[in-house]
Amino acid sequence: MIAVIRSELYRTLSIRSSWVSIAGTITLGVLFGFLSADFWSLFAGLGAFGIAVVTTSAHYQHRTAVLLFLGRPRRLRVLAGQSVAAVLIALALTVISGFTLFNPQDVRQFTGTLVAVPMIALFGVANATLVRKPLWLFAGYICWITFVEGLLGQLKDPWPFTSFLNAASGKPEGLLTFTAWTVVALAGAVWAIRRDLSGD
Amino acid sequence: MAIIPSMIEIRELTKTYGGIDAVKDVTFTASPGRVTGFLGMNGSGKTTTLRVLLGLSRPTSGQALINGRRYRDLGQPLTQVGAVLEQGLSHPGQTGRGHLRTQAFLGGASGARVDELLDYVGLADAGSKRTGDYSLGMRQRLAVATAMLGDPAVLVLDEPANGLDPSGMAWLRQLLRGHAEAGGTVLISSHLLGELEQLVDDVVIIAGGRVRLAEPLAALTGRQALRLRVRGRDPHALWAAFEQAGAQVRTDGPVLHVSGLTPEDAGEIAFAVQQPIYELTSDAPTLEQLFFELAQDNAAAG
Repeated sequence: MIAVIRSELYRTLSIRSSWVSIAGTITLGVLFGFLSADFWSLFAGLGAFGIAVVTTSAHYQHRTAVLLFLGRPRRLRVLAGQSVAAVLIALALTVISGFTLFNPQDVRQFTGTLVAVPMIALFGVANATLVRKPLWLFAGYICWITFVEGLLGQLKDPWPFTSFLNAASGKPEGLLTFTAWTVVALAGAVWAIRRDLSGD
Repeated sequence: MAIIPSMIEIRELTKTYGGIDAVKDVTFTASPGRVTGFLGMNGSGKTTTLRVLLGLSRPTSGQALINGRRYRDLGQPLTQVGAVLEQGLSHPGQTGRGHLRTQAFLGGASGARVDELLDYVGLADAGSKRTGDYSLGMRQRLAVATAMLGDPAVLVLDEPANGLDPSGMAWLRQLLRGHAEAGGTVLISSHLLGELEQLVDDVVIIAGGRVRLAEPLAALTGRQALRLRVRGRDPHALWAAFEQAGAQVRTDGPVLHVSGLTPEDAGEIAFAVQQPIYELTSDAPTLEQLFFELAQDNAAAG
């Protein structure tokens, strides 16, 4: 698993579009931190989710999953390694972008986000493993957040992103619900990663 | 480093997609020290077989083994098997060197090995270029370097000739022959039969998902009847004379393709019927001709 983590971290940092995305997310996170801790949490969470989705699904999009599975044919270990790499990147992104939260009242928000962000990174890896196509995933989730969680649920029902926001603001029930969503997504990923890799 | 002999064995392999057999009861071996050509048209089942061999797809039944073990059960597989698949896989935003280093982390190879291989495949100057800017031939060279990172005994290549120019193909031939001569096992699939003729020792022909023939190339070509290419003043008279002598004759215009006669017999018959001969040559069948004849025989057999 260590080999997969090292390989994934090196890969992420050696692809220009990936590290530019990470740097851009950190920069915007810092700016949002000046405006509002809630905004910062939302942005850090969405950033961690987006980067986890992009780095994981790029393997399927560019077919390098073939090389990954040739190098490490035990696919659950690959999933575990990808998950740890995504969590490390998410934590780094959160810690660096959150340094502007000077206000003592924001400590709870910061720690809540720091706990919730690894979950959303895992959620991103699991979703990307399940769907394999980033465009479908992002388009689907934009519709989902807008219509289901936003308009219908008014960001109050225990759906994934609403739960994440509750978790990020330090509410234990939000963290518990979002953990449950993440476990469900990971169970789907455990099934999906064993599927045949179809030809090009 | 000395190569440890490794055998590839495919045993009664069947892979079914949606009730349709992509491959059915495929059985053959690829031995150490030899280059085995896995030949067939597009869609004949070559890639499916190789994907099962490499653990990327699960077989419906049967087995695909390397040294008696499934790919997923090999310890450190990249040090035992190198694979070239799908015309050079890489992230287009990553440099060639970055790509190889990513794979080196996975397979436990060193940074020095990465630079050594970039030089070996002729990409030393292009190592810092993004692979999205590589030509197809450069991507194939990078794929070969990726396969060789762990210095494996077994090389499995799926259609590696695609995108290679003649000099690239000559380079690949030399590399694979060298690997086999050093004791390595090479299994190479292609639909470009002419390209493989100078390379392979053993031939496995697959059509419609089934193996139609598996034997050494020398045995296959040696068993074929000698064919003559004959051009004379009156092809009709020559045709009739050759057929009367028991030969089978086909033509593509003024040239007759005659089987069942030696060159001496053909010359004597032409002399006897007083027909001047302008051309009389032995026509050894190419791998491509043999393949199409086998395909026709199988189609006729139903």
